[in-house]
Amino acid sequence: MVFSVCLAGCEMIEYHPYDGRVSGEKHINSKNIIRIEEECKDKEIIRFAFIGDTQRRNDETLDFVNHLNKRNDIDFVMHGGDVADFGLTKEYIWMRDILNKLNVPYVVLLGNHDCLANGKGVFEEVFGEVNFSFFAGSTQFVCLNTNALEFDYSHPVPDFRFIEGEVGKELEGHKNTIVAMHAPPFDEQFNNNVANVFQYSITRFKNLQFCLNAHQHRLSTSDLFNDGIIYYGVPDISKRQYFIFTLLADNKYEYELVDF
Amino acid sequence: MNTNLWISKNKISLLILFLVFSLNTLGQTKYEERVDKYKSRWENLIPTHQKIQYAGGMGLFSLGVGWDYGKNNQWETDAFLGFLPRYNTKRGKVTFTLKQNFIPWKKRINHRISLEPLTTGMYVNTIFDNKFWMSNPDKYPNNYYTFSTKMRFWIFVGQRITFHFPEEKLRRMKEVTFFYELSSCDLYIVNAVGNSSLKPTDYLKLSFGLKFQIF
Repeated sequence: MVFSVCLAGCEMIEYHPYDGRVSGEKHINSKNIIRIEEECKDKEIIRFAFIGDTQRRNDETLDFVNHLNKRNDIDFVMHGGDVADFGLTKEYIWMRDILNKLNVPYVVLLGNHDCLANGKGVFEEVFGEVNFSFFAGSTQFVCLNTNALEFDYSHPVPDFRFIEGEVGKELEGHKNTIVAMHAPPFDEQFNNNVANVFQYSITRFKNLQFCLNAHQHRLSTSDLFNDGIIYYGVPDISKRQYFIFTLLADNKYEYELVDF
Repeated sequence: MNTNLWISKNKISLLILFLVFSLNTLGQTKYEERVDKYKSRWENLIPTHQKIQYAGGMGLFSLGVGWDYGKNNQWETDAFLGFLPRYNTKRGKVTFTLKQNFIPWKKRINHRISLEPLTTGMYVNTIFDNKFWMSNPDKYPNNYYTFSTKMRFWIFVGQRITFHFPEEKLRRMKEVTFFYELSSCDLYIVNAVGNSSLKPTDYLKLSFGLKFQIF
């Protein structure tokens, strides 16, 4: 009793809402990527869920987690970014603690709200790198920071050097690629000066199937560059909807918008 | 004629001497009066107490000075400088806080101890760091972010216990007060309002401090 009171008291001691003091589990993405890559190894069919923009929607995100835990056909979850609304250190921790209740592994992309004030440093500590990739089944997932408006020229967004490095990777059994990001090209958050160059550079990936984005808080499926590459935009979690993508053999895939 | 002249000359110089003297003394008094008034007015600005606070969203610890006023000294205004280590950010930071306290009751337990069963108030904190802004910079479209990362508004409730030093043993101060407070800020309240899954321990913060009453 006394111990739990002390523990609650410790939790309540805070030096500043933006202090960047992270307690509990850290570097979630890299740990979960190991799980995803192991569990999906040699799997022919991969099924994953894609959510986004959960900021200040802890209740709905928790409902999503409880809903998803009742399914047993999902391999992993991707979060398209914006776990924090104001960039408060606790917002990242609250969302981490909710998503950690998922039975399946998950990864989180950097959203523009996640960059506010000290946010990027806190995001990197809690979730991990802002550009990262993983390999599930025969598909390479490339997750990119596209929140250019939050950075200046000292920080490349999107990071073409990272993309180049990923294009050049030799992966055994690699057949397809999926690129995920928070803000899609032509959004005011994106560096639209390089939108076409960006599209050119990601289409160099091995059989780029489609792209995923969040940020716009609404459902969208659009062939942004009229080149057959569809950008799927996921509604924010307050709409109580998420995407499910099923990657089939022979470079085919299916998708579904699910209500919960 | 000569004598008269001398007398009148003498009178005039006496008169001048008197006038100069009287003007001089009069002037000095007024000047001194003004200086005294001026000094006493500034004296009112000498802080009556000093504080040190641990946590509470204004730094790892904060040092402040303040003033007690009101009929029963039920009002207190403090100004703090807070110190925040870097943790997972680029650098350590300094914060500034203006705090307004209201202490409705004081209960004297004995000649050494008194209790203040309720304190309440608010404070405004600002953080000195170029990553923080009052309103979003010009590069953003209008109203892209509608809040300030730089300035936080807090409310609090708390309690205090005061130890009074006996008059013959006064050294550096009259009293020492220990206080604790439960507080929350604008952005935590906004988070709490829409999310029943957040617990009070998520959005209420705990802080401690000491107040040294100098005079």
